Amino acid sequence: MSREIQARAYLAAPAAMGGSWSRRLKTVGLTLFAVAAFAVMCIDLKLAPEALLAGMDKFDRLAASAFPPSDGGDLPRILKALAETFAMAFAGTVLAALAALPLGVLGAKTVVGQPVLHFAFRRVLDWFRGVPALVWALILVSAFGLGPFGGVIALALADVPSLAKLFSEAIENSDRRPIDGVRATGASPLMVLRYGLAPQVTPVMASQVLFFLESNFRNAAVLGIVGAGGIGFELEERIRIFAFDQVFFIVGLYMVCVAVLDTFSQRIRARLA
Amino acid sequence: MNAVAEFEALRRRTLRRRRLESLSGLLVFSAILLISFQRSQFFSSDIGGDPLGRIGDFLTRMIPDLQGEVLLDDRRTTGSLAWWFYDLPVWLKLGWQTVEMAVVATVLGAVGGLLASFLCARNLMPIAAVRFSVRRMLEAIRTLPDLVLALLLVAAFGVGPLAGVITLAISTMGSLGKLFSEINEEVDPRQLEAMEASGVGLIAKIRYGVIPQVLPNYASYALIRLEGNLAGAAALGIVGAGGIGIELQRAITYTEFDTYLAILLLIVGMIFLIDMASEAIRHRLIGLGEAR
Repeated sequence: MSREIQARAYLAAPAAMGGSWSRRLKTVGLTLFAVAAFAVMCIDLKLAPEALLAGMDKFDRLAASAFPPSDGGDLPRILKALAETFAMAFAGTVLAALAALPLGVLGAKTVVGQPVLHFAFRRVLDWFRGVPALVWALILVSAFGLGPFGGVIALALADVPSLAKLFSEAIENSDRRPIDGVRATGASPLMVLRYGLAPQVTPVMASQVLFFLESNFRNAAVLGIVGAGGIGFELEERIRIFAFDQVFFIVGLYMVCVAVLDTFSQRIRARLA
Repeated sequence: MNAVAEFEALRRRTLRRRRLESLSGLLVFSAILLISFQRSQFFSSDIGGDPLGRIGDFLTRMIPDLQGEVLLDDRRTTGSLAWWFYDLPVWLKLGWQTVEMAVVATVLGAVGGLLASFLCARNLMPIAAVRFSVRRMLEAIRTLPDLVLALLLVAAFGVGPLAGVITLAISTMGSLGKLFSEINEEVDPRQLEAMEASGVGLIAKIRYGVIPQVLPNYASYALIRLEGNLAGAAALGIVGAGGIGIELQRAITYTEFDTYLAILLLIVGMIFLIDMASEAIRHRLIGLGEAR
């Protein structure tokens, strides 16, 4: 009798009853395969312990030379570069938001009813969503010359696809009822947008834009490496001449600035939500 | 009448305050925007006279001069696809290296993040000082931009994928550590109590009570991070930390803008494939999580 109950329980919930041998074999096989694949990848990348140890040794020496951190008598220049980095991030974010707004409206299922068009539009955005700002910056600087101009465009280009996607999701997720309510009072389409849709989507969008400002400030730090100005240029210059005390100073100062901006923007976002 | 007048006055005051608030907000925003455009020399920078012509010129240089009739010829024929993607074997090899870097770094970072997450979850780590210091450490990692770390590590570990893997692993640990600890804190204690009541041992409790609750979430976050790491790894090569980025840098050095576009398309395709695979796995995991 109890055997029968056990068999029935096994049929009803095989996973809960420990699973069959073939299932276990499959799990073990998959695990072994994953471990083997990982090991092969590590070997392929030449991640040898001795290379790691040698590097750690050198890193320790670099870290030791970073104390005490010093501004190298260049504080005004560093602060100027930091301001430039923030300016690039801010300008890039605003441009991205402006460009993403119409794209987001077009990408919203509730606005563009045509499913094929909607699908194609989303896919194109998806393709370019992953391209990092640095990759855009590299070619833009080469096309438009050294300076922050290419950096601003690069940041904007890197953000537009993701922002447009988030914007269209915000529009799709908006509640129909307030919009219908405003329309029922006989309001013009513009009024419907202003009093029906805007109050719903603006806080969401603003909070997303602020989030991108935070991440852009982080990304902007590196654009200087490819010649797009800002703190990245100062950093790379000092790393190249092994002035690690100054590198440490700049990185520390920069991290404080990032933390300040993050706190500030998080506070605004919390108020918006 | 009095009450109505009072209400009207209140409404006027509130409206005035609101308008003042939005106006001052708008002013601050415009001021920052103006300074930003001025600082970043957006409108003043010299991008070589006629900017629109410049952009057009740049786009024409990016788009390869493909010829319809010789499209499928070998790479010696100018205008064929093989001529455009002339170094495809090298790019595919470096592309694969980029994928390997992302995978290895994600695994290492996820293991590191897992350990850190146990140390800073409120329900698993009783010592507040440990929780506090681990959390601050993870925050510091998240503040540091990947590529700044990569620059430092390339200086120490030399040019090559090792520096890139360590960079990505450290930054993955920073973000996953935080997310994992949040998952740990959300483990439903009732399931554990139910198991305790049925009298099972500790290992069975973890196996059937904790893992089914946390594993799908862990894996799902790690896979999302893998997608991000692949994009990150593609950029790391630009600073010499291994992967396909080095070919981007090379194409720019020789001002081969059409080659740049070819590699860019390859990267986009690679990211797209990984995104799809990861999404498929994530959806299956979430389904599995529900079935349990």
